[in-house]
Amino acid sequence: MKAIPTLKISISGVRGVIGESLTPTLLARFAQAFGTYIGSGTIVIGRDPRTSGEMVRQAVIAGLLSSGCRVIDLDVCPVPTVQLIVRQRKASGGIAITASHNPAEWNALKFVNSDGLFLGTGQARELLDIYHQGEYTKVAGGEMRSVEMVTTALDAHINAIISVLGKLPVTGRKLRVALDSCNGAGSIIAPRLLEALCAEVITVNTTPDGSFPRGAEPIAENLQQLCQLVKESKADVGFAQDMDADRLAVIAETGQPIGEDNTLVLATRYVLGKTPGAVVTNLSTTSAMEDAVKLFDCPLYRSKIGEANVTEMMQQVGAVIGGEGNGGVIYPRINFCRDSLVGMALILHLLAETGRPISDLLADLPRYVMLKEKLACPSDKISEVLKMIRRDFAGQQMDLRDGVKVSFGVGQGSGWLHVRGSNTEPIIRLVVEAGEEVQAQQVIREVFEKVGNLLQKN
Amino acid sequence: MKPLKIGISGVRGIVGETFTPELAVEFAQAFGTYFESGKILICRDTRPSGPMVRAAVAAGLLSVGCEVIDLGICPTPTMQLAMPYFKAAGGISITAGHNPLPWNALKFVRGDGLYLNTMQAEELLDIFHQSEFTKAKWNEIQPRIEIRDAIEYHLEVLGRAFDVEAIRARRLTVAVDCCNGACSVLSPRWLEHLGCRVLAINDEVNSPFPHNPEPTRETMAQLRAVVKAGQADIGFAHDADGERLGIVTEAGEALSEEMTLAIAAEIKLSRTPGVVVTHLSTSRAIETIAARYNSTVIRTPVGQSYISEAMLEHNAVLGGEGNGAVAIPEVHSTNDAEATIGLLLEHIAKSGKRISEIAAAVPRYIMLKHYVPVAPNLLFSVLNEVRREAETAGATEIDLSDGIKLSWPDGWLHIRASNTESMIRVIAEAEKEVRADELLAWAIDRLK
Repeated sequence: MKAIPTLKISISGVRGVIGESLTPTLLARFAQAFGTYIGSGTIVIGRDPRTSGEMVRQAVIAGLLSSGCRVIDLDVCPVPTVQLIVRQRKASGGIAITASHNPAEWNALKFVNSDGLFLGTGQARELLDIYHQGEYTKVAGGEMRSVEMVTTALDAHINAIISVLGKLPVTGRKLRVALDSCNGAGSIIAPRLLEALCAEVITVNTTPDGSFPRGAEPIAENLQQLCQLVKESKADVGFAQDMDADRLAVIAETGQPIGEDNTLVLATRYVLGKTPGAVVTNLSTTSAMEDAVKLFDCPLYRSKIGEANVTEMMQQVGAVIGGEGNGGVIYPRINFCRDSLVGMALILHLLAETGRPISDLLADLPRYVMLKEKLACPSDKISEVLKMIRRDFAGQQMDLRDGVKVSFGVGQGSGWLHVRGSNTEPIIRLVVEAGEEVQAQQVIREVFEKVGNLLQKN
Repeated sequence: MKPLKIGISGVRGIVGETFTPELAVEFAQAFGTYFESGKILICRDTRPSGPMVRAAVAAGLLSVGCEVIDLGICPTPTMQLAMPYFKAAGGISITAGHNPLPWNALKFVRGDGLYLNTMQAEELLDIFHQSEFTKAKWNEIQPRIEIRDAIEYHLEVLGRAFDVEAIRARRLTVAVDCCNGACSVLSPRWLEHLGCRVLAINDEVNSPFPHNPEPTRETMAQLRAVVKAGQADIGFAHDADGERLGIVTEAGEALSEEMTLAIAAEIKLSRTPGVVVTHLSTSRAIETIAARYNSTVIRTPVGQSYISEAMLEHNAVLGGEGNGAVAIPEVHSTNDAEATIGLLLEHIAKSGKRISEIAAAVPRYIMLKHYVPVAPNLLFSVLNEVRREAETAGATEIDLSDGIKLSWPDGWLHIRASNTESMIRVIAEAEKEVRADELLAWAIDRLK
């Protein structure tokens, strides 16, 4: 068996393990390649608070300056802040230094274009070509440009949100919010935003020191501390962020996680209530999105998996909101990327305006059970697996844009199955959603076995 | 020929050509590995490439697990003095010293504040070439801390080393040209501390060098004008990182850089006879002065670490080089222009003499400097050929400890490979110009 790689250079950027593969030389080269690619313009950089963040930041600054860029350095801040400042300052691009939900030993560079979007597939391939060719722009020592430290980026981000959405309407009492920032990049800005919105804030894990107090992904099993806090403090809602503050998980006032998919459902309800329009999400996001847009008679479009695919389709259809089922809310009026802070503001406005608790709002919509599995699968076997799924489910409604998505049944017994190869690891992902847990269990077990057998047979 | 020199004096090259961020990163990794991931101080001069190199060096050091104390813009001697103060394992000064603006370099300092010696520098180079660097895990990475106090500490040590009250009492008028280099943040403050009326020019760290940062007679024209217009008692010219010092007299004469050490020796030895250490390429005036005061001169190969180590070994009262760099052991045994200023002003204040009078007491010989660019692969074979011929040149003394130094009663000739650039340097000195010309011509003929 081959050793598990600790470096991944792909169209989503470069990710690696500190102390193993992600060396300062490699990082400086990537920054030079990016500086060369965007033509030595102004680049905004920011990082999450990982312990390796300062090392990576310095390597990136060296590479960017060497290739003739001017650097706007936001230091520790959420990824969406980098994207927002790229647009506000009309920069040529940005580099976000974060391995988002990966464990503490990882770090990564994510590349942002001048629109504040992550590089699309074509752009990312061009960057990789430049990186591999190794011929980078080098400016003379006397002509090197400088680094501008910007300390007002968090304020700019908060102002952008408040100026579009406003403060919460004044009612009898302030909404009470329990917040868990995972000691991540949202630790400073999130409490400040919530106060600026006129909510009351109780926090855990808001010391951005690079420690990982819990699993970095805002999934239910990592959020027990926050659930407890919501109950104890009688909060109206609990918000959990990931390390780079792009994803948002929501805890209902009952102390129950509502499931990451429902973050987008709630945000969508608020936005469509104000500005009806098209909505975009990816193929693996809950069917509750269809139910939510139906309340407002708006169209829902589904894209391939990946933030870049979602934003691309949002631009095509002129969506008013979009996002992913992992808690990533994209609200283009403020920021054309997943932004947990925007998500918080939208959901709080929904609560304030309706005056209804989260559990009650969710009760309006049918409940689904979503189950996920993954199987190790060599990349050359993925197409065989997909072929088998297409054959076995022949005759049912299928979407083949990203793996195979099969829709089955109608009404109460309906559901879907999505099988696809991962973009980032040699695995097959299975996602099933159905109205009933039993049904979902049955489908996923069946498919899991089939795929397992096929892979064993070879 | 590629402008890159990796050697015992550090690594030096032209940014945008050979001096790349990767090179700086990897040298910093090698340095951090050499000093076992200990605490490392870094500082830089004011070159526009400084922030790039600083970031590359910081990234390399952090990746090895070093704690990085970043002193920002400050003179190299300021960092050297701060090494024991911070209990640092090593230091990297990002400066190409007297080289023009497009250049940059890394100079490597050890825990006692002196430059790595030849053995240590060779060990560091071996680690660099092997490219097997320590890699800190995520939870072993240390912080980078920005500290700006090193200047204050330097001022404090300088203040203790000289008779500040005596200097203050004289209210001297001093012109200083900081060349927009690292001394801009220290030199005017030191002079003000000494109670001088300060006429500072080119003390803006965000501006480019107004002239090459080498205090020679040619670069001191502007300073001469300021000395004359401001009726200053003396004018000082700095290089980019605070080692070399050029002097303009109250009469507006720019002295040769060779005079700085000679004047310092005249002052120091007249008070405390002892050992002076300098290298083979420095003026014989030092021997003449030492003879006056029953003192000894120790000659070392060219390179600051040789001088510093010999100063410690022989308990020297003074060290320095013919390029204007002087080391005063009351401050530290390494070149420090601010300490040199202290010594000169203290003497002017106490003796009541003008700098032109002091300079007049120093013997002046004719020194000619020349260099011949030579491809790196030929440097030492060319020298070898010259060496063979040198044996028949009739010199009374041949010293082969650093290239070839030939001495006669009326002059000397030194032919050696530069530590910092791919070239052979030739220096000839004699009492009479015609003899100096003759010596230089002999060398140039051999190098053709």
